[in-house]
Amino acid sequence: MTRIKTGFLLACSLAFHVTCSAAFGQTFAQAHSVNAKDIRLSIIPTFGANTVVIGDSAFQANDAHHTHIDVLKFYISRIQFVQNGVVVLEEARSFHLIDAAVQATFHLAIPNKGGARFDAVRFHLGIDSLTSVSGAMGGDLDPTKGMYWTWQSGYINVKCEGKSERSPARNKEFQYHLGGYKPPLSALQTLTFPASGNEAMTIQFDVETFLSKIDMATHHRFMSPSVDAVRLSGVAAESFRVVNSGGVK
Amino acid sequence: MKMKVLLLLGLFAISIAAVAFRASNGKGFSVPKGWKKPAYNFQQNPLSKQKIELGRALFYDPILSRDGMVSCASCHSQYSAFTHGDHALSHGIHDSIGTRNAPALMNLAWQRVFMRDGAINHLDMQALAPISNPAEMGESITHVVAKMQATTLYPRLFAAAFGDSAITGERTLKAIAQFMLILVSSNAKYDSVTRKQAVFSEQERKGYVLFKKHCSTCHTEPLFTNNQFMNNGLPVDSTIQDLGRFGVTQNPDDSLKFAVPTLRNIEFSYPYMHDGRFKRLPDVLNHYTAIGLQNRTKSHTLAKELQTPIALSSNDKVDLTAFLLTLTDRGFLFNPTFSFPRNIVFETAKD
Repeated sequence: MTRIKTGFLLACSLAFHVTCSAAFGQTFAQAHSVNAKDIRLSIIPTFGANTVVIGDSAFQANDAHHTHIDVLKFYISRIQFVQNGVVVLEEARSFHLIDAAVQATFHLAIPNKGGARFDAVRFHLGIDSLTSVSGAMGGDLDPTKGMYWTWQSGYINVKCEGKSERSPARNKEFQYHLGGYKPPLSALQTLTFPASGNEAMTIQFDVETFLSKIDMATHHRFMSPSVDAVRLSGVAAESFRVVNSGGVK
Repeated sequence: MKMKVLLLLGLFAISIAAVAFRASNGKGFSVPKGWKKPAYNFQQNPLSKQKIELGRALFYDPILSRDGMVSCASCHSQYSAFTHGDHALSHGIHDSIGTRNAPALMNLAWQRVFMRDGAINHLDMQALAPISNPAEMGESITHVVAKMQATTLYPRLFAAAFGDSAITGERTLKAIAQFMLILVSSNAKYDSVTRKQAVFSEQERKGYVLFKKHCSTCHTEPLFTNNQFMNNGLPVDSTIQDLGRFGVTQNPDDSLKFAVPTLRNIEFSYPYMHDGRFKRLPDVLNHYTAIGLQNRTKSHTLAKELQTPIALSSNDKVDLTAFLLTLTDRGFLFNPTFSFPRNIVFETAKD
């Protein structure tokens, strides 16, 4: 009886903590200033050699297809650091919306008070299914961020909108809203890269690579969970590359 | 040993308190006796009087719509059990008309998914659908938040509810959810009979027997819904082509399935069915006694309980209707704490 009651209480308090951590999905960078023991990780959206920065007008790529990027946003979540395949550090409240229109969102600082040593960084591209069914969230997960589907519940993991000569749509537009949390249409991706964290790490999401692998003549718009959206989410994941793993270990 | 006993007693007291808290959840919500535990996780959105009042103000405020003309209450009015009385399909901004009948709102704390097709996975997120639908409110939550920030009313209501005046999408949705959560209907004559505080008339009693025999598998007591999706044999309206749950799951086995609605307050929640095609209760009963008899194509997803028509005599239908009228809860339909929040909206008026 005692054990059951204690178990019940433990479960309650655990549920409370999970709730709290899920409910305030604020980025660390927003909440705190960077301190020396933080692991610095930058996720930079690029188009080939250039950083995609969307200002008052769209980013223009100057490529053969006259590509414009109007919107580029994606979620990086559940950031973990791994040593020999074992997770040694996991960021709390780990939900980050990287927005090409807000450069401050490119740079993350993850507290590492214990000074954990690691050889790889692992993170999700997108939002996990448990978070997707847990109601209204704040911070980067707030639905005012424009990354939540309204007609059918679920987060948009990756949103990329713009124009390209390759698109047969009106005004040569393309719109890729990739998401879906329910199997078999789960679009969530897990990425792992070598990392040491001795200095700031940089990982790029190269939109040029991503778009080059899409047959725009047939697929210029994705707005809902589908088999193709899952496939394209895989393509997005493959368009990440590490350019600085944090120096020599 | 004494310490252990004390510790045990302490644990016991805390768990009793936790259970008591869960049962009453602070303000305005309690689990009616004999009902199961709600599906809604109140720990993630603890109820408070101020949050409920904020949610109530939002529910009745057309600020949620793009042209400021349509509120939640436009299609969910209290006197018709929070549906759109006498309107088959929901209305929206610029005289638009949607494709579905607005569902009656009550006992939502026990419901896991929302909308006629279950497209919404959490009560918090439900309001986003009508806010964003171009044929309903045609707005975005982002713009609603911006509009509210420019008012004098909402920063004050948010501060009262959340401790500071920050207006966010999360807070907005959670407040609306809180108001929807307190819409509990559990005081109909049926409930009084269940609690042995009243008795059915002979006609109602006979109707109850028929109800349990023919209806209660899907319209399960005490919520009068099993919260499942079923195909109840309605032919597709060719002008709408609504395939229901299939649109969400893309699974052919879900074709033509819609959420089983509650029958509570059915007297006031007309018209009936997902597209409001039946104006009166006799139309509904006649449908169930005629499935398959009127040259209607039987779909492979038709509920197994309806594979053969339900046999009801004219007298049976009268008795069954008498029972259904015992599900009317006037205390719910006329509860002043659910109505237009005059005191909040007009608080600053001097006259």
